[in-house]
Amino acid sequence: MSLIEMNSICKSYRNVGFETQVLNDVTLHIGEGDYVSIIGPSGAGKSTLMSIMGCLAQPTSGEYILDGEEVGKLNDRKLSRARNEKIGFVFQAFHLLPGVTALENVTLPLVYAKHSPGNAKERARELLAKVGLEHRLHHTPGQLSGGEQQRVTIARSLINDPRIILADEPTGNLDSKNGIEAMKTFDNLVKEGKTIVLITHDPEVAQHASRIISILDGQIASDSYQKTETC
Amino acid sequence: MRIFKNLGQALRGLRLNRGNTVLMTLGVMIGIASLTVIVAIGDGIKIKVLNRIANMGFGPESFSVIAGAGRMFFARSKNTTSMTLEDAEDLLALPTVRLVVPRQRKRMQIINKKEFTNTRVYGVTPDWQLARGWEMTDGNFLSDSDLDRSKRVVVLGATPARKLFKGKDSIGKMVRLQNNFYEVIGLLEEKGLTESGYDPDDRALIPLTTSMSRLTHQTYLHSIKVVTLDASQVPETMETVRQVLRRNHNLSALADDDFRFITPEGIMQWVTESEQALNRMLILISTVSLLVGGIVIMNILLVSIRERVREIGIRRCFGARRSDITFQFLFESVLVSLLGGLMGVVLGLTISFGLKRFDVLPTHITMEPFILSFAFCTLIGLVFGIHPARKAAFLSPEESIRSQ
Repeated sequence: MSLIEMNSICKSYRNVGFETQVLNDVTLHIGEGDYVSIIGPSGAGKSTLMSIMGCLAQPTSGEYILDGEEVGKLNDRKLSRARNEKIGFVFQAFHLLPGVTALENVTLPLVYAKHSPGNAKERARELLAKVGLEHRLHHTPGQLSGGEQQRVTIARSLINDPRIILADEPTGNLDSKNGIEAMKTFDNLVKEGKTIVLITHDPEVAQHASRIISILDGQIASDSYQKTETC
Repeated sequence: MRIFKNLGQALRGLRLNRGNTVLMTLGVMIGIASLTVIVAIGDGIKIKVLNRIANMGFGPESFSVIAGAGRMFFARSKNTTSMTLEDAEDLLALPTVRLVVPRQRKRMQIINKKEFTNTRVYGVTPDWQLARGWEMTDGNFLSDSDLDRSKRVVVLGATPARKLFKGKDSIGKMVRLQNNFYEVIGLLEEKGLTESGYDPDDRALIPLTTSMSRLTHQTYLHSIKVVTLDASQVPETMETVRQVLRRNHNLSALADDDFRFITPEGIMQWVTESEQALNRMLILISTVSLLVGGIVIMNILLVSIRERVREIGIRRCFGARRSDITFQFLFESVLVSLLGGLMGVVLGLTISFGLKRFDVLPTHITMEPFILSFAFCTLIGLVFGIHPARKAAFLSPEESIRSQ
């Protein structure tokens, strides 16, 4: 059974009378441990696909089954729980809470976790050490460089040990050196058994994945597996 | 507990958005401060009035008849010439009346050589001392012969005695009222200032006859104090007194009384009534001021939420439920309201204390505002916080995470 199962997903937005069809009949299955890149030009519907995949938005029609649960039938409580436990988000714009230390940003998902472990701080520390930020625990986002901020967001996405990491243009705001660092982190996470979905318009970044799905005008244009040739 | 975590996030939110927090507290703070001051003034005035009553020297078995129509302390007519010594004699003849003290009163300067002071001068009869039960520290009170012969003698209260003689012996010395010299024959025991600042010792007493002929040049009385044999006889005696005075003053059945009664009970009733009116006004003012504070909170919270759309989106992405967001913002609004309330009470009490300290207005400081404002502010926070909080909770996570 696939971890992510999308069947004929359509999504349209209504905006002052205009109806814009963003996704048109997308069917997509992603298995546990897959390393997937979703590429496409801007406006193709990548971000909307990611929003639906991350339970941030509901499809207009179609069926989305996440880890055996039909997302369309979940109430706010269960949707929030799914976002909390199953998915870790990494954003292009980092989306860290301003004015809050790296450590506290990393533990944010635990605030909303059903069972927050007693050693939350310890775990957060370990994760920050894992991304090489053990010396930046008490810095706020404003005091961190872009690369460091992105590493904090990766640590945050991992704190609840989710099975899926959804990364939206993770290298978009980074210089090439930091970008390569970030991609290395993702490559390692796959080795640890995480399912990773990368959204990018950068073909070079997409090459890290073992499966590349390209989206064009709200539809899947191609879906190909390739040999892993990472490092 | 999840809700405590939301509380924690709310505290963090307030700390990070200090500007908005300060603005929100201001509205409530001003409302609560003014409320605290008003309550303190209300209480202060009430205490002052009660003290005044206590110092009028009323026992439960006595009442006063004041010349001139009206009610209590408020004369409606200036026609106060109708009450005479004959009235007083007639009242004394009533079977239930023990003592009658006819009185004239005038505020004027009393002079001893180069020392002078302004005091209340009363023309009274020797029975005044019995009616008030006021002891002497030195000398004697006015006697019947002083009254009969319209002697120029005076009994001083402690305040004018101190001002005129600076602690030196005053018995037998002469003081001047207008153009006449009076011999000091006695000193009243000092009662001391009341809590409200009324000075019962600020008075001088002369024989009523002397007052009539030399001071006021009037033959009519300003008031008569009536002491009955027993407190239970006060109501019936008042009624008899009314009939006697109406007959003596030749009032027709349709005419109003040309005198008025002051009784301890009447004063209490009057105070209670004024207090109720004051309380109604207070409730109105407080409702309006707190409403304003609440609206300020709501508006700023709405603005704050617009500024923090991204934060809300981030929280939602990482598992915050709508209820978590609702509680967080509701907590922020209640906390801000409570903080404003606390600051308001402190500010209000400071102002109240200042008013009292510098004699601007009598105020009375109690713990009541703390409890009241705690309750009010919680309510305001909840009522005016719920709309912004729900609004924040129902933002779409997708749109809020992508907002710039």
